[in-house]
Amino acid sequence: MRSIVNGEVSQHVIKLQQLGAKVNVINSTLCYVNFDISGFVLQYVYNVNSKGNYFLERTKPYPLALQEFDTEKDVVILIRKDVEKFKNALKSHHIDLFITIARHLNSTFVNFENTFLDYNLPAADVELILKKIQDIDGDLVRLKDTAKKIY
Amino acid sequence: MEVNHVIIAIGIFLTTYIIIVSEKIDRTVIALVGASMLLLTHVMSQEKAIEFIDFNTIGLLIGMMIIVNILKRTGVFGYLAIKAAKSVKGEPWKIIVVFSIFTALSSALLDNVTTILLIVPITLVIVDTLETNPIPFIIPLVLMSNIGGTATLIGDPPNIMIGSATGLGFMDFLLNLAPVVVIIFIVVIFVFKLMYKNSMSISDEKREDIMALDENLAIKDIILLKKSLVVLGITMFGFIIHQYVHLESASVALIGASLLLLVSNVEPEDVLLEVEWPTIFFFSALFILVGGLEHVGVIEYLAGHMIALTNGDLFWLAILILWGSAIASAFLDNIPFVATMIPLIKSIELMSPVSISPLWWALALGACLGGNGTLVGASGNVIVSGMLEKHGNKLGFFRFMKVGFPIMILTVAISTVYLILFYI
Repeated sequence: MRSIVNGEVSQHVIKLQQLGAKVNVINSTLCYVNFDISGFVLQYVYNVNSKGNYFLERTKPYPLALQEFDTEKDVVILIRKDVEKFKNALKSHHIDLFITIARHLNSTFVNFENTFLDYNLPAADVELILKKIQDIDGDLVRLKDTAKKIY
Repeated sequence: MEVNHVIIAIGIFLTTYIIIVSEKIDRTVIALVGASMLLLTHVMSQEKAIEFIDFNTIGLLIGMMIIVNILKRTGVFGYLAIKAAKSVKGEPWKIIVVFSIFTALSSALLDNVTTILLIVPITLVIVDTLETNPIPFIIPLVLMSNIGGTATLIGDPPNIMIGSATGLGFMDFLLNLAPVVVIIFIVVIFVFKLMYKNSMSISDEKREDIMALDENLAIKDIILLKKSLVVLGITMFGFIIHQYVHLESASVALIGASLLLLVSNVEPEDVLLEVEWPTIFFFSALFILVGGLEHVGVIEYLAGHMIALTNGDLFWLAILILWGSAIASAFLDNIPFVATMIPLIKSIELMSPVSISPLWWALALGACLGGNGTLVGASGNVIVSGMLEKHGNKLGFFRFMKVGFPIMILTVAISTVYLILFYI
């Protein structure tokens, strides 16, 4: 029931205000988009509101905030491109490995954030992590330069 | 009138009523289906059906919903609630008392459901801060919203409907019902004191957490707040004088609503989206359904029987209406019940040689206070139950009834004495 949901939102607003937040509640529509490509599920969530801001997130096969947009047309274009890329990637023998790596990157980021925010880390160790990520970025640049572009 | 039409109108009305009570299908949907069936079966024409819709009730509801929707955006209710909790230094029993006063007053000026939607969320925040059981805080507020709403024309939908149908104005309701509501409030607070005062102990640390809340953070838009309070004040003044300047109560509410929309700069689409349209359509369909019974002469027939049952004695009619309304409203939705009773009492008025105005007060007191009897007696009760469930607490039918039903009996008994002493 809409009124019960509004009541819950009111509680959140009051609690967040007491934490010092400015809370702006706006009416919007949340859209869930599902594609089933031969058993491989791609899922997106995006929000449409009268303020003209749309945020799009891919939630499956792994969560990734994609972009903010000014019009709903841009949202559809990005989803279409994303789906095409995945359809293409599904032909690859490495698709399972790709999903595993992507999910791993997500969990690694969460792990890094928790470690950094919850512990007092030595600067040298943080720099070591940065160095390792830069190494991975370097590997990706090298791969882009050498592999054949398919999209 | 054809006998067939009488049977069809009664059949459609009873079927719709039973389904509304059973809550198997959404009440607005089934009321609209019932009203449509009256048209489909030619019990009455579309023109006739529209004549039965009380646009004064509909306009008053829409106008007040718009005003409250803009007012709540200012954060003033959060501000007042935090200020009230701090003023009693976070003492649980005193919080219940000040919040009960706040709820009863708000409910007298706004409708019950709106009051509940504004006050219960902030109460749950206070309860979370105190880390205590919300039920002893919430039950008094729900009951007080139904009690406070009884006091005025605009406090509860049954009163809006009665006022619109009879021409009784804001001051009529205030002068005739507010005195008994004040007495009821005091008695019920005393009952709550016996029930709850010694059952709550809160640590000093938690009370300090309440004192640390900053009410000023709750205010979202000070300019909008000032504009809203000015328009609300003008609207309330309009209600006080509406009978003397020959304006319907709906006109006052709609003038206030349009004025606030004009000066507030709030997106009208956002405000109108929050109007409870299912409630508005429910009312419209109910007026048509009851209009169907009236059109075929059933209401007149029932009124005649009611007079025969009581020998036309105003005393017994008033007692019958008061207690009958209270018991019925405890278990049924009081809106369809009152919608049915209004034409019935109007028919009694036509047949009665004496003034029947006490019957309207009996109906208002019975229908409004009866809502406290059970969890399903008033829309606000059901909403609170849903909010508590989302909050992780269950307020079941019997748990509510254990407190609500005795309070309902007590308050209707006080109303009986009041009616006997001053009216019948």
